[in-house]
Parts: sequence; structure tokens; C-alpha cells
Amino acid sequence: MSNPYQPIPAKILDVIEETPNIRTFVLKPEQEIPFLAGQFVELTIPGFGEAPFTPSSSHFEREILEMTIMRVGRATGALFTKKSGDLLGIRGPYGKPYPLKEFEGRDIYIVGGGVGLAPLRALFLTLIHDLNKYGRIFLRYGARTPKDIVYKKQLQEWGKIKGVDIDLSVDSATEPWERKVGVVTCLMDEIPCDVKRSIAVVCGPPIMMKFVTKRLLEAGFPGSSIYLSMEMNMSCGLGQCGHCRLGPYFTCKDGPVLTWEQIKDIEEPFL
Amino acid sequence: MALRQIRAAEPIKGFLFKPRERVAKFPERLEPEPVKTPTLLFGVKGCDLRGILVHKQMFLAGEFADPFFAERLKNTALVGADCPAPQPSCFCNLLGLNPYVTEEVDISLTVLDDGWLIEVLSARGRDLIAGLKDGFQPAGSDLIQRREAQRATAVKILKKQNPQDWNPYLPKAIEERTKDTEFWQDGAEDCVECFGCLLTCPTCFCYLLYDAGNAERFERARVWDFCYIPMYARVGGGANPRPGFLQRFINRFHCKFMNFKNQHGVYACSGCGRCFTTCMGRIDIRKILGAL
Repeated sequence: MSNPYQPIPAKILDVIEETPNIRTFVLKPEQEIPFLAGQFVELTIPGFGEAPFTPSSSHFEREILEMTIMRVGRATGALFTKKSGDLLGIRGPYGKPYPLKEFEGRDIYIVGGGVGLAPLRALFLTLIHDLNKYGRIFLRYGARTPKDIVYKKQLQEWGKIKGVDIDLSVDSATEPWERKVGVVTCLMDEIPCDVKRSIAVVCGPPIMMKFVTKRLLEAGFPGSSIYLSMEMNMSCGLGQCGHCRLGPYFTCKDGPVLTWEQIKDIEEPFL
Repeated sequence: MALRQIRAAEPIKGFLFKPRERVAKFPERLEPEPVKTPTLLFGVKGCDLRGILVHKQMFLAGEFADPFFAERLKNTALVGADCPAPQPSCFCNLLGLNPYVTEEVDISLTVLDDGWLIEVLSARGRDLIAGLKDGFQPAGSDLIQRREAQRATAVKILKKQNPQDWNPYLPKAIEERTKDTEFWQDGAEDCVECFGCLLTCPTCFCYLLYDAGNAERFERARVWDFCYIPMYARVGGGANPRPGFLQRFINRFHCKFMNFKNQHGVYACSGCGRCFTTCMGRIDIRKILGAL
């Protein structure tokens, strides 16, 4: 029986500064981590402990893993002292992937907020890898200010892909900004897809998730077609330690992506 | 363990799911080692077995099995013992359990006034007594009758002190009461948040992983954790789904009597009464659950 608590060493190949407090860590684990978009891993910062993160790279790329992480606390603070060549640990993958088979033939409406675009990028890259399998792909992304936008160059390139429609907003335009100003729901006044048979995928800060979900439901998306990345304390990743309980679910085992239909009866599912 | 008395003050879970255990190393690997010396747990009561069942569900039945728990369980023989004199704190009958053991152990033991009556229940149990055969004689029907009478007396004591079964739809009843804070506040008001109920609970399975060392080298330990701790479910950014004690109190009932029952078919409770006997506020979950 293998040891599920044992991390695999992973070397940092590169650290990309996305925003003043968000970085993308490019990692090469000693063994492949066979994750699928939507699944997460436990990242060890040696000497500090572990925290759960969802890879932001395509799951077709197995040898190199990218993780885009915002500095928020003790573990991420320690992570931000790490440089190329340093060693981290990884175990996983854990949780359920996006059910891509069910996404086939449908329009996909992706809404991201802040660093929440990171796990959505894994999904997005996976979708555009097989673009002919899906309908149109819409990406709506909001950040606090233009400075806080992650993947700036890639967003421009993705916008050029046929069948992909991208729109951006910032809460406040602290520098010249040609797109919309407002929270991300300001991009959702018109939802240009057949909502009854499209898929919505959301990740962002809890308050944003709450209002985006509300808007999606108003627009007519069925609750079972709204996929939400839930933020809980996924400590073991194995469905055992109890910390990530959300209603009847262990977020690490049953999520981290759950549909609105699954969580709608939980009091305050968004922290 | 004291054979004529109820379960020990501490649950047996620590023998299989250790309060603190080293589970990983870095950068070298830690692989679980085979157990060299098997363990015999002697005098295990019926309620103790519910704890093992819950831990088997949590640590072995899912996608990721815990090799440390599995290896120890495999190498642990269990000798069960009857519970001839249930105490007022006992309520295993409300959990559908008996104050004696007829399965899930290798040997079942009944202590009578003039000797021990044993029943072998597994091949391992047979092996265990193989070397002791001279001291035992086949039990006649009179002894078996005395055993049954003793067991029936214990059942009667339990039935007398816990006459009213819980609501058969208890999970649903708990769910419907979730927002009735007054109800839960009544139950929780004498709690001093010492966590003794969780520490002595034979079914509680929560654990925390923590690393000790430095950036070059560390060891990872797994320690028991407790859902009453304020920071228990807090996430990296600081948000906490259950910042108030009452929410954590209700969560305990959700875990043991709603979710576990719905998902695994049994309550994550053994009726051992340790939570009650440990509690400084004498909070009796029987009263709370009985009112639902």
C-alpha cells in the first residue's frame, strides 16, 4: 500500500510575477502528477507545511506543472521566498475533475475573479486543446485594478482564437483602461449563449462567486450546469481528516468543484 | 481491560489510530513498515467496536487507504468481552449495539462467577487458544444458558435507563432543526470548550497534518484534531466557515448523526457515554438527540 501522506519532491523551474502579490510557479515534480482539470494537489513548502492549490496549466502537459498563487498567509508567505532551483513537495491529484464529457457540444461560459482565473486556466487550456469538441467558449474576467490582472499576455492571445470570446473588467481603473469598469457581473448583463443548455464555470473570491451565481441563475442557467470552485480547508486531500466539510460533502473528495445544485441548500456556502 | 466493568476510560482507538504518528519525511521518503509484533486487545467491549467500524469506513473504504492504520488493524487480534453491568452513562442500545460481542472479534469472552466462557469466532481466534487448550473444556448448555441470562440482564438494564429509541428519521430531524439556534443553544450552554468529549470519543476521526523541520528536511506528523477548535476549518485567507462555537457544536451533530449515517448507514457514535462522563458541564447528548 503506498503512502498517501508522502510528498513528491518538485523543483521550481521558474517563478513568474503576475501581479504584485500573485506569482506563477513552474514546477517539475520527480514523478508525473496525472491531474485532470478541476483536480487539485497539496503543495508542500518544506519546513512550513502544506496547502491545497489547483494547477493552472493544461492537463495535457504532464511533466511540468504550473500553479498561480496569491500571497495571503503564512504558507504562501513562505512560498513567496522561493526561487528557481528550490525544492517543493507535491502530492495528489485529489478531488473530482470537471466532467468534460458532459461539456461536449455545449457553450462554456467561464467567469473568473482575481486569482480565481488560475484553476480556470487549467480548464480553459484543456478546452482549447480540443476546441472542436465544444461549442463557443466565453471567458469573463474581473480584477481589482489593471495591475491585478493575471496572464495579461495570454489573455490577449486567447482572445484571438476563433470560437473564444473574452471580456474583461476592473473594479477601479487606476491606470488607462479601455474595457469596462465595475465588478465582474457588469460583464454579464447580456449572456450570449443558450443558457438552458450551456455550462457555466465560476471561480473567484467568495463574494464574487455569490453574486455571479445569482446572476447566472437569473439568466436561466440550471443549477446543475453551474460549476463552482469551493474554498475550504482541504488539509489531507484524501477525504479523511474532516477539515473541509461543507454540508454533506468533503470538499477535497466530492469537490473542489461542486455544482450549485449540490450546494444550494447549504447555509452560506461561500465564506 | 477491566473485564467485569464497562469500557475503559479511554477508547481503544489510540492503538490503531495513534494520537500522534510520523507519516512522511522529506526529501527522502517514509514507507510504512510492516508491524513486527502483533497486538492483542483484550476485553474489548461492544461499544469499542463501533469506533473501529467508523475508522475502517474513513481510513480504508475510500479511494485512498491509510497504510498505517491498515497494517496495525491487520496485526491486531481482538478479544471481546461482555459488559455485565452497564452504567447510567451507557446508551449503546440506542445505537443498535449490544452489551456483549458476537462478531467482528476473534474471541468473545464472558466472565462468570466461577470461570471464563469463551467463544472462538475466527481462525485467528482458534490459533490464539491453540496453545491453551488444556485449560479449557467444552461449555455445556448450562453455562451457555448462564451466559445468555447474564447478557439479557445487561440488555434489560440498558433498556430500563434508555427506554425511548431515538427518532428513526434522526438525520432528517437534525437537518430540519439546524437553524433552530435556541434548541442547540440549550444543549450547548454548559459547554466550557474543553474538547474532552472529542478527545475521549472512540469514533472521532479528524486529524491534522503538520510538518516539523526546515526548508531542507522535515518530518510530517499526523495528530488527532478536534472540530471544536475555533481555527479548525479556517482557510488560508483567514475566512472561517464556523467562527462561532454554536456552529461548531451543531457541526458535531451533523457529522456524527446526520452525514455519517446518511453516507455509511450507521451513526458515528458508540453509545459509550464517554462524552458525558468527561464533560464538566455534564452535557448529555442523549437528551439533545432524544428531543429531536
